[in-house]
Amino acid sequence: MFGKSILAAVAGIAAFGASFEYAPAAEPVKIGVLVPLSGSTSQFGINTRNGVELALEDIKAAGGIKSLGADVELVYADVPAPNAAAAAVQRLVSQDKVVGIVGSFVSSTTLAASEVTERLGVPMITHSFADQITSRGYKYIFQVSNKASTIGQKQFDYAVEIAKRAGKPITKAAILYEDTAYGTAQAKGLRDAAAAAKIPVVLDESYPLNVTDASPLVNKIRASGADLVFPVSYFNDALMIIRTMKQQKLDIPTVGGAAGYIVPDFKKGLGEFTEGVFSIAPANYDNAPAIAARYKAKHGMFMAHEALMYGAAFQHMVKAIDEAKSRDPDKIRDAIAKLKKCDGFSAGLPGGCTAFDANGLTSVAFPIFVQWKGEDIATVYPPEAAKAPPVWHGKDVK
Amino acid sequence: MIAFIQALIDGVLVGGVYGVIAVGLSLVFGVLGIVNFAQAEFMMMGMYAAWFAWRYLGLDPLIGAVFSFLVGFGIGALAQRFLIQRVMNAPHVSQIFLTVGILIVMENAALLLFGADFRTVQTPYQTQSLQLGPFFVSVPYLAAFGMALVVSVALWLVMARTWIGRAIRATAQNAMAAGIFGVDAKRVYMVAFGLGTGLTAFGGGIILSYSSVSPTSGAQYVVLMFTVVVLGGLGSVMGAIIGGVAVGIIQSLSTLVMPIQVQNLALFVIFIALLTFRPQGLLGGASR
Amino acid sequence: MTRSLIIIAVVAALALVAGAMLDPRGYVVRVVCLMLLAASLGQCWNIVGGLANQISLGHAAFFGIGAYTSTILQLRYGISPWFGMLAGAAIAGVVGLLISIPTMRLKGSYFALATLAFGEACRIFATAATGLTGGPQGVSVPFLGNSWTMMQFRGAGPYVPILVGLFVLVSVVFAILSHGRLGYLLRATRESEDAAEAAGVNTLGVKLTGSAISAALTAIVGTMFAQFNFFIDPDIVFNPTSISIRAALIAIVGGVGVLTGPIFGAVVIVTMEEVLSAYLSNQAAGIAPLIFGMMLIAIVLWKPAGLSAISFSMRRMPS
Repeated sequence: MFGKSILAAVAGIAAFGASFEYAPAAEPVKIGVLVPLSGSTSQFGINTRNGVELALEDIKAAGGIKSLGADVELVYADVPAPNAAAAAVQRLVSQDKVVGIVGSFVSSTTLAASEVTERLGVPMITHSFADQITSRGYKYIFQVSNKASTIGQKQFDYAVEIAKRAGKPITKAAILYEDTAYGTAQAKGLRDAAAAAKIPVVLDESYPLNVTDASPLVNKIRASGADLVFPVSYFNDALMIIRTMKQQKLDIPTVGGAAGYIVPDFKKGLGEFTEGVFSIAPANYDNAPAIAARYKAKHGMFMAHEALMYGAAFQHMVKAIDEAKSRDPDKIRDAIAKLKKCDGFSAGLPGGCTAFDANGLTSVAFPIFVQWKGEDIATVYPPEAAKAPPVWHGKDVK
Repeated sequence: MIAFIQALIDGVLVGGVYGVIAVGLSLVFGVLGIVNFAQAEFMMMGMYAAWFAWRYLGLDPLIGAVFSFLVGFGIGALAQRFLIQRVMNAPHVSQIFLTVGILIVMENAALLLFGADFRTVQTPYQTQSLQLGPFFVSVPYLAAFGMALVVSVALWLVMARTWIGRAIRATAQNAMAAGIFGVDAKRVYMVAFGLGTGLTAFGGGIILSYSSVSPTSGAQYVVLMFTVVVLGGLGSVMGAIIGGVAVGIIQSLSTLVMPIQVQNLALFVIFIALLTFRPQGLLGGASR
Repeated sequence: MTRSLIIIAVVAALALVAGAMLDPRGYVVRVVCLMLLAASLGQCWNIVGGLANQISLGHAAFFGIGAYTSTILQLRYGISPWFGMLAGAAIAGVVGLLISIPTMRLKGSYFALATLAFGEACRIFATAATGLTGGPQGVSVPFLGNSWTMMQFRGAGPYVPILVGLFVLVSVVFAILSHGRLGYLLRATRESEDAAEAAGVNTLGVKLTGSAISAALTAIVGTMFAQFNFFIDPDIVFNPTSISIRAALIAIVGGVGVLTGPIFGAVVIVTMEEVLSAYLSNQAAGIAPLIFGMMLIAIVLWKPAGLSAISFSMRRMPS
């Protein structure tokens, strides 16, 4: 009897020791990060990388993927242009053996990449918001942000709502957009919302992204008599438009379409004229103050929305792998689809969680309105997400 | 009518600046016979130079543009001496692709050195304009146009009145004959190229006063620059200025009748038509 | 010529073997496909650049026309890309002819600039004509599973024989043009346009024919690219750097006017792109293309007068 208990004790100790042996020995689970790190959109890719790295710190602190006993490792692939996407995805999957991919900011790159991930059966989570991403009936692509047309719609609806509450309802709207997929898709949302609200659109123009002179645009705004302007721009064009409007003393409320309007450089470029500029945004850092503070401490500027969103996408994928208890991309894909994650970076998104519907589109997120206040961008609408009241024509709005 | 005149004013002002960035390209082609596809990158370089001058020396970019000129001249002259000189007599294919290679190197060197973010300057007059009746004259554009004029006059004086200007013109006309008179063609090429890139860099400095710079800023201006130069006549300095103003006006006026999105399409059509029917441009001499 | 054709045949055979033996959904097979596409594109450019000695920087126009024609026909009318490809080639051929009429007389850099502007004009048009092309958001080839009739497959492997066929086709056309009567006339025109004119050669007609053929073939490459990538937008297929300039580079690095040139060019350039991307992706941004640019400069300087001269000495003169 004594012998049996010693045997049991020895077996127990041996098993205990053996379990320790397995924990660090498992190969890390690799996840691909497909973002532009060079070229004209590299700033966004770098922000994304910063966000994902910050999210990785939290994952490591929590012990990696516990159910597999493995660490998580990121593999980056630089995609400065969409034509590099397909080969990069293939390389990540076949050579680097990633089990999932996050990326890649620019919608056309995401569209090109997701064609390959769909066929190879590897899940991809993106924040890009072109409508087509989730309307191809694909099973392996997930989007944490709303569709471009939805964002455009909300951009319009929120503005109209605030103006009404401020006692200065909108009568004529001007829509201006740069002519890439981003601007074009969002403008459609704006247009549809204006039609639904029965507000006439007195100017509806697209312009080339690399426009060298904004005067014709602003002349048209002035001539149109609009009392609200919706420019959907990247940084350089946004800068030129706002400056030229100021030159011509056009004091019309301006509601930017994300991208160029919510980057730190916008403040640096326009200085005092940034004050009060609105923009629609898929997410904002003031909803995740602890994370935002860490980001600012590390990188010296406020956390861009793509950093937050891709951090959330990445953490969602890692949690899904943990729940799936598997490295099989198909099982991971199913786990991503089922999972509703409301902690970590995901809590910082509007809606407080990352979760997806049958098409892979976010089922909980909603666009928010942000406004520049000093050095910071504050979420001002809708009320359930607002951290500060919106200021319209210099006055707080209830 | 008001819209027309306003568009005309804007077009002329912005066109003056287009002229200055293009004049360097014209000079390079006129003297060296090379179409420098990397020319727009010197503009980008000039923008960065002016930005640093603003940031660390507090110089308004319109003044800092002089510093841009020096930087553009220096780097251009070196590039010519060590790289471009080697393909002076090579087939066009080599010349084109050497400058394309230089373009790629410059753009990515800028990305490595300065990062991808956009940099701008803040000046007190950036958001000001003069109001003349119903018309607005943008102060930054006006100031830029003014500098463009100053530099054009300066260039004209250099080409017409100084020894180096005469040497450049002589070499452009007939290098061998100029050589007989003691003009070292290689030196002239180096100086002329440097002058060309310096001028484009100067233009970049001026543009910085109202725009922003990033490593890919050059790409915005490439085809525009070439259109200006072909319009005015490759090789004609005065033509580049006039071509610049013409392009500015065309771009501006076209927005009155066509969607802004296709304003460059109009330019390209004109560009191709010109090349077809009058390749020497409005003011150029016999086509080379 | 026989030696060159043998090389083409060997390369084709190697590619076919690789396609059959390697994992059809793997990376290496995809790279082989990319090389075949690149070589075909370069070979098309070679027809105009090598034989007619005109540096076109606007071939993206024809590439894009091919890609969009077959895709739009497929999306709207369900027409197989095999037929769509021919439609695209026909349209591109006509467009190529039309644009060449005014521009073919231009020399060297003027021609390059004109074609660059034309390519850009096509891109802007494709971006603006939303009703026709779907605009800047691009279009996707609908995925119907593996299908030979609709030229699409799940993995890259099955594309290999099609792309090999494409490359062989373009190369054979090049060989015929180069060594047939047209090639003889083109070379005469290239040697001395004035002398050729004096001898009664319709130099313009000769160049126009070469141009139209090159355009048509480029469109076919465009169609296959669309079928391979599934997603296209104006910035991808009408791109001046990644299509037009790259097409020229592939031919130049390998040797302008040489039948086997584009193979060498494609292998070198695609390998360089993939290697740089794989190893330098997460290093300082911009390093990979910087190295690429420096290598380009080195190649041009190493054989400045010789990029064409090599080809000249390698090609046998007609007896």
